[in-house]
Amino acid sequence: MPSEFPMHDPQNIWQTQTTELFKMSANELRVRAQQQQKRARLKAQFSMIGGFIVFVFFAWNFSKAHEVVPRAGLGLISLWGLYFAYQAYKRIWRPTPDTALDATLESYRSELEKQGDYARHVWRRSGVTFCFLGLALVVVPGLIKSIEHPGLLMNFVPILVLLALWFVAFFFIRRRDRQKLQREIEALRAFETENQG
Amino acid sequence: MRGPEPISGERASQDSLYEQAADAYGGPLDRLARAYELDAEARRDLLQDIHLHLWRSFACFDQRCSLRTWVYRIAHNAATGHVIRQKRVRDRLVSIENIETMPGSDQNELAASQSEALERLSTLIQRLKPLDRQIIVSYLEGMDANAVSEITGLSPANVAMKVHRIKNVLRRWFGEGGLHAK
Repeated sequence: MPSEFPMHDPQNIWQTQTTELFKMSANELRVRAQQQQKRARLKAQFSMIGGFIVFVFFAWNFSKAHEVVPRAGLGLISLWGLYFAYQAYKRIWRPTPDTALDATLESYRSELEKQGDYARHVWRRSGVTFCFLGLALVVVPGLIKSIEHPGLLMNFVPILVLLALWFVAFFFIRRRDRQKLQREIEALRAFETENQG
Repeated sequence: MRGPEPISGERASQDSLYEQAADAYGGPLDRLARAYELDAEARRDLLQDIHLHLWRSFACFDQRCSLRTWVYRIAHNAATGHVIRQKRVRDRLVSIENIETMPGSDQNELAASQSEALERLSTLIQRLKPLDRQIIVSYLEGMDANAVSEITGLSPANVAMKVHRIKNVLRRWFGEGGLHAK
């Protein structure tokens, strides 16, 4: 029977192309797997340290403050720092997902969905609400005072500008990350649907 | 700092399965990576990633399917993840049906050399969506519909239909056709 492809048989072209016999040693693989895990832990450790710094800094300010409302705000932010550090600590010790399944697209998608779900409920889950409430308790009394003594407002300007910048950056980055995550989840779902169809 | 973990019996079997797979499918895995990534450096990273996924996956390889099916399934999934993460690439991909019906998608001249033909084949593969890419790569590796079905999860009938379309496109790109195809 004559070949369908008398000049160049694609299967033959494909199979006879030069290949490199790539192989990694078990130790190399183990090291790479450990490196990946280490990177994830390092990220969580940075968050823990960040949380502790926030805790110590605001606790110190809490001990120095005299007025009740700002003091409560400082205490709240300080406690939030501790909570944030605890959440990061939990992330470090959370068992890693099934190593065998993490190569499948389904588990990759479900991991992304979990991330997306966390991002949607970040206010509740990471306690950001308490952080903002604390900030409000610190800033608002100062602002009220500055109405009576406009000169005081100037003292607040740097912190207000910083807060505003942080606020904008926080929402902008969060929105961008969520959109990116959503696009990736949708692409995976489309691929899975196509695969089942 | 903790030292390297002691190697248990399970770990040893994971390592030996990986060794076996890398020895038997090293070449096909390299070709598979070429089907998903043209850039040599990025391909090397992808190949490393595939091998890492593969090694990890052997921790729970239950032998319910053949080693070959397992290796291809894991490798395709890892490579598909790689494509899906690249938005710019992902948005340009089309299905084999699109290519089949696309006017002017025929190659009007026969490839002069083997390397030119390979380049043409790679161009075609790179345009395909991940699922079609899985099928065309499996077909090019010489697998039958049942084997492709096991890897992709599609029914053998669906695979047969896709392979039929792939052959049509390949005939237009590489067959007697070429210059005289129309």
